[in-house]
Amino acid sequence: MKKILVADDEMSIRLLYSEELKEEGYEVYTAANGREALEIMATVPVDLVILDIKMPEMDGIETLRQIKERRPDLPVLLSTAYGEYRQDFATWASDEYLVKSSDLDDLRNAVKRYLKD
Amino acid sequence: MAADRLSFLSQMVEVLTSTISFEERLKNMVHLLGRYLKVDLSLYFGLDKGKELLTLQLTSKGVLSPHQRLEFACGQGVVGEVAKSRQEKVVHRHHAGVMPANALLEKLHPAFHTLAAFPVADDNFLYGVLLLVDGKDRSYSQAERQIIRSATLMLAGALRQAMVQEEAKKRIAELAVLFEVGKALSSTVELDELLERIVTTTAKVITARGAGLQIVDRQTGETRVSSRYGYIPAPFKCPPILGVLPTGGTLADIPYLQGEEVAADGSLHYHLAVPLTFKSSLQGALCVFDKITASGGYEPFDHENRQLLFTMAGLIANTLENAITYQQVEDLAEKNQRMVRNLTALQEISQALLTTVQEDRLLEILLQGLTQEQGLGFDRALVFMVDEAGQTLRGRKGAERLAQGGPAPLATALFLPLARELDLADWEIPLRNDQGPLASAVLNRRAVHLREPQVLGGELPEKVRLTAGELFAAPLVVKDQVTGVIVVDNQTSARPLEEEPLHALQMLTTQAALLLENSHLYATIEANSRELGLIRERMLESDRLAALSSLASGMAHEIRNPLVSIGGFARRIQKLVEPESPLKGYVEVIQEEVSRLEKLLREILDFTGENLSYFGNHDLDQLIEDTLLLVQRDLDAQNIKVVKQLAQLPLLHCDDRQLKQVFYNLFQNARQAMLNGGTLTIRTYPVEKEDGLYAAAAVSDTGGGIPMDVLHNIFNPFFSTKDYGTGLGLSIAQRIVSRHYGEITVNNELGKGVTFVVTLPIAKYCLVKEAGQGSAPASAIQI
Repeated sequence: MKKILVADDEMSIRLLYSEELKEEGYEVYTAANGREALEIMATVPVDLVILDIKMPEMDGIETLRQIKERRPDLPVLLSTAYGEYRQDFATWASDEYLVKSSDLDDLRNAVKRYLKD
Repeated sequence: MAADRLSFLSQMVEVLTSTISFEERLKNMVHLLGRYLKVDLSLYFGLDKGKELLTLQLTSKGVLSPHQRLEFACGQGVVGEVAKSRQEKVVHRHHAGVMPANALLEKLHPAFHTLAAFPVADDNFLYGVLLLVDGKDRSYSQAERQIIRSATLMLAGALRQAMVQEEAKKRIAELAVLFEVGKALSSTVELDELLERIVTTTAKVITARGAGLQIVDRQTGETRVSSRYGYIPAPFKCPPILGVLPTGGTLADIPYLQGEEVAADGSLHYHLAVPLTFKSSLQGALCVFDKITASGGYEPFDHENRQLLFTMAGLIANTLENAITYQQVEDLAEKNQRMVRNLTALQEISQALLTTVQEDRLLEILLQGLTQEQGLGFDRALVFMVDEAGQTLRGRKGAERLAQGGPAPLATALFLPLARELDLADWEIPLRNDQGPLASAVLNRRAVHLREPQVLGGELPEKVRLTAGELFAAPLVVKDQVTGVIVVDNQTSARPLEEEPLHALQMLTTQAALLLENSHLYATIEANSRELGLIRERMLESDRLAALSSLASGMAHEIRNPLVSIGGFARRIQKLVEPESPLKGYVEVIQEEVSRLEKLLREILDFTGENLSYFGNHDLDQLIEDTLLLVQRDLDAQNIKVVKQLAQLPLLHCDDRQLKQVFYNLFQNARQAMLNGGTLTIRTYPVEKEDGLYAAAAVSDTGGGIPMDVLHNIFNPFFSTKDYGTGLGLSIAQRIVSRHYGEITVNNELGKGVTFVVTLPIAKYCLVKEAGQGSAPASAIQI
């Protein structure tokens, strides 16, 4: 079973995403900020990470940089409540930039794309 | 006999001391002698002043008829022999050699036999010869000879007395003449009037038909006729006097030229010329023509005339010298006065010019100063300025003086609006040497004084009508740069352009050029500060927008998270609700409302512009090609060749609009550096760095490079070497490149050109840098 790590400071989002992804058949880990996410990754060999950008303690951009430094090939999806404007050179290092939406089809499809085998 | 002799002598003395005229006395004496001696003829031959000719002057038979004119050269005939030897001589017809030598006397006495010739002389002077002619052979006794000798002595006495008297009369007359001449000459110092008087008086004094005066021009060395009076043979030419210089000797060898000419009608004309000298250098000649005789005919001028003319010439020369000097002094004084007037005008114009920095006002004051009567007084003045690119001379402003000048003093008139302005706006003259005198004045930085009509170049506005032959163009020069040209002429009044105002104009151009340049700089500074104001306003505006945007995006962030949760969970609930359950409808309502709010949120962000992003994957080569299209036309127009060496590189993650702006700025700078053509080289290539792979784009020009003193400034905002633009081009480029985590460097080769290299990371291979690292200077200057 593929392991997905969801990092978001909003508890409701963490809950929504994990319920949805579990239903799709993934094993889901959650973290409330980047530091927690990196701690989990230190013990769990996750297959995909979904990162919120604005988080306390360590934001999504810095987390993304550190993840890519350690595991360049690990797919990292940015999922943000900001609009598309936040895209820039920094966010380009991610594999996908998703704007949060109540319709979770984009998220599901992106995850499927990176974890298809 | 003795009584006869006594009676004769007493009669002679009576005649000698009588008060009748000298000629009568002589005639009577010759007659008395003839009668007393009972000779057929008693003749008196007078010796001329040259002491060469003996001319028959009196006979005992009364008046001489013209055909009785008789002359003997000294030494010729018995008369000539006696004149030469001063010894009395008696010859007879049958003596050897008498006949041929004295044959002329047969005209008076066809059958003469005895000739007795006696010198008429006193102790130092021979006056002539007395000749007694008799038809019979006779001899003269000692007593007779004694009587004759006494008679000749008396004759000599009478002649000497007459000569002295004549001489005295002549001297008095001469003095009177000279006095008249002097009076006439000294009565005026006006040169023209004096010249007139000289010739009039000369002709009258010499009793000539005409007189002429020629003066050598001191500047050109040419001789010209200065004045003339009365009859002068046409074509008039004074004899070439230049070869005859006074030797400073006695009156006997005065220099002169004398001659006669046969006119077309066969009549004979005489001329006499003497040199006019001041301080022994030749200054001209005084000539007289045709001496009028008492009977109204003409005759050659004689020695007396020459002496008188020479004496007059001396007098005239001095007076003339004085008059010329006086005239020169007067000319100088007048010139000084004009100069003072011009300088005063100049000073007033200068002061007026200092009252404004507006170019239009400056030009108006300048044009007023040039055209006002109390100013420099030109009929018209036109100002042309060189355009920014230095390629064309453009008509700027012109003014023409109205026929009646205003009564206002110059200081006031300078500030009045132009009476008649000339529209030169459409007049453009390309700055090439073949484009007429105005272009030449600018290109050669030298004033041009045109004296004949010439094509002025460019298309002459119809209203300007520059038909005057004479005009003057003075270039406006500031720091070795010609910024324009001032043109003046006297078209309306057709007066010649005078030296002093032109001189004043040239003094004025230096100041005018500087002030116009200052006003130009002032205008530029003003424009710049206006532009800065606009930029600041725009920045404030964008600050407000940015604040609004950040508020909107903050709100969006805060609202979106709960919305996503509500909507997401509503969808999950919907999946769990039975199809027939009334809850299904409620959940659908929640979903729809959330969707509506999400849509609203997107629209708000779109409106504030926060949602628009141009970041994407772009091909650097394509980006450069697209930008080139924008400047291609300008490059072609300037004859700039484009060389492209583009390498295939991985896609760049960038804002293509912003990067196009970077290349656009670089291409424009290169173009402006190559106003006279050149080559623009664009090269793209990969660069391997420690932290990964970069794409580089090098933009090179052949515009000679950036001067060292400005090089360090080129990335500073608002720095510009150009008169236009904000100077923000390179600093914007630098900021954009920095935002892309790249850098921009300059490679300057003085005398050749400059190369700007933009280096951008190829993202997939470069790890995202630490926050803050990207704000390190993204530019470097390499010299």
